[in-house]
Amino acid sequence: MFELDVRSRKAIYEQLVDKVKEMIVYGILKPDEQLPSVRALSTQLTVNPNTIQKAYRELEREGYIYSLQGKGSFVSSSVEHPNEAMRDEIRESLVKLIAEASYSGLTKADMTLLFEEAMARIEKEEPHD
Amino acid sequence: MIELNQVVKAFEQEKAVDGVTMHIHKGSIYGLLGSNGAGKTSLLKMMAGIYRQDSGTVRIEDHEIYENMDLKGRTIFMADAPYFFPQSSITQMAAFYRSVYPRWNDERFKQLATVFKLDVKRKLHRMSKGMRRQAAVWLGLSCMPEVLLMDEPIDGLDPVMRQQIKNLLFQEAAERQVTIVISSHNLREIEDLCDHVAIMHKGRIIVEKDLDDLKADTHKIQVAFRHPDHAKAMDKQIDILHEEKRGSVSLYIVKGNRQQVTEQFRIHDPYLLDVLPLTLEEIFIYEMEDAGYDIQPIVL
Repeated sequence: MFELDVRSRKAIYEQLVDKVKEMIVYGILKPDEQLPSVRALSTQLTVNPNTIQKAYRELEREGYIYSLQGKGSFVSSSVEHPNEAMRDEIRESLVKLIAEASYSGLTKADMTLLFEEAMARIEKEEPHD
Repeated sequence: MIELNQVVKAFEQEKAVDGVTMHIHKGSIYGLLGSNGAGKTSLLKMMAGIYRQDSGTVRIEDHEIYENMDLKGRTIFMADAPYFFPQSSITQMAAFYRSVYPRWNDERFKQLATVFKLDVKRKLHRMSKGMRRQAAVWLGLSCMPEVLLMDEPIDGLDPVMRQQIKNLLFQEAAERQVTIVISSHNLREIEDLCDHVAIMHKGRIIVEKDLDDLKADTHKIQVAFRHPDHAKAMDKQIDILHEEKRGSVSLYIVKGNRQQVTEQFRIHDPYLLDVLPLTLEEIFIYEMEDAGYDIQPIVL
């Protein structure tokens, strides 16, 4: 269920934390759904169990998951929106992309048009918003 | 739990291990890195109770390991070149291990046969290097050790077997809380395998840390400043491990909290600012450089 990039410079536990957050935010993991056990995930991904334990601890600290003694880890029900750190990251990559777009010759008008198109598409997909 | 305190070991005048102090938690997979001849094998052999230290203490679970039969029965040391008796097969070696290690488990030996598809009747000296390595791991794990000391264990194994053995080690650590110490030069392997690492150089430990923390607090920064004065100002504010200039772009290897470091650079509003985490290989090279062991351009 998780794909890790072993070539990435990012630490494996960080990748795991981000993956789980993403899946929670996008609703792939539902509230109160059980996460795979540390042992199962360790075998499945060939990742050090202590690394997985650490990722789960971090997720719990940030409130994305909760754990029940002897039962395992579960998705918290209160998570709805990406947190501030995630927004910062997205902001950063957006700025980078915009800079690249402008170097490659896209004008401000082009980008504004793209932005509006994208927003219109998102709004159509989510009528409740 | 393995505890080393101010351990010194010398061969003739040569100090192989020079005042090493380290703590390895139970259930941890610990990577021992180092330059050639840094003293990794000597250190492992002292943890295994094969060498006796000249001074300092080597304790496992609060007991000295040297000449401690009970503790040694629960400790497996896998040498970098596996040793088997001349002309012996796996079955014969298994019989020997069974007679020596009190925790030997026949059940487990049979289970592991599904992983290691080796002919138990074939003579070990006629097997390839990789197959002998597999046999050593097979025999070692069948002894149900609590401490597993492995010197260059991944050497000579094919990618499928590596993955299999890694998985076995992870299970040992997760289910039986086995403490595993691995020495290696192959940093990629260590990176996937270990949770803690120590870097050795000339008999001393230069860095000892949680691998994720080590990666999280060392950064590679590419920056193009608007004014050369900005670059000078950086020196005082941050802990720079390494600095390099390529044209107008400077490369820094910096220690510290990612956010704080990034802020320090950002106040100067540089043309370009890229912050990347380091790979273990890069950390190793820069830490070594700091210790005076760096890569010199070679001209022959």
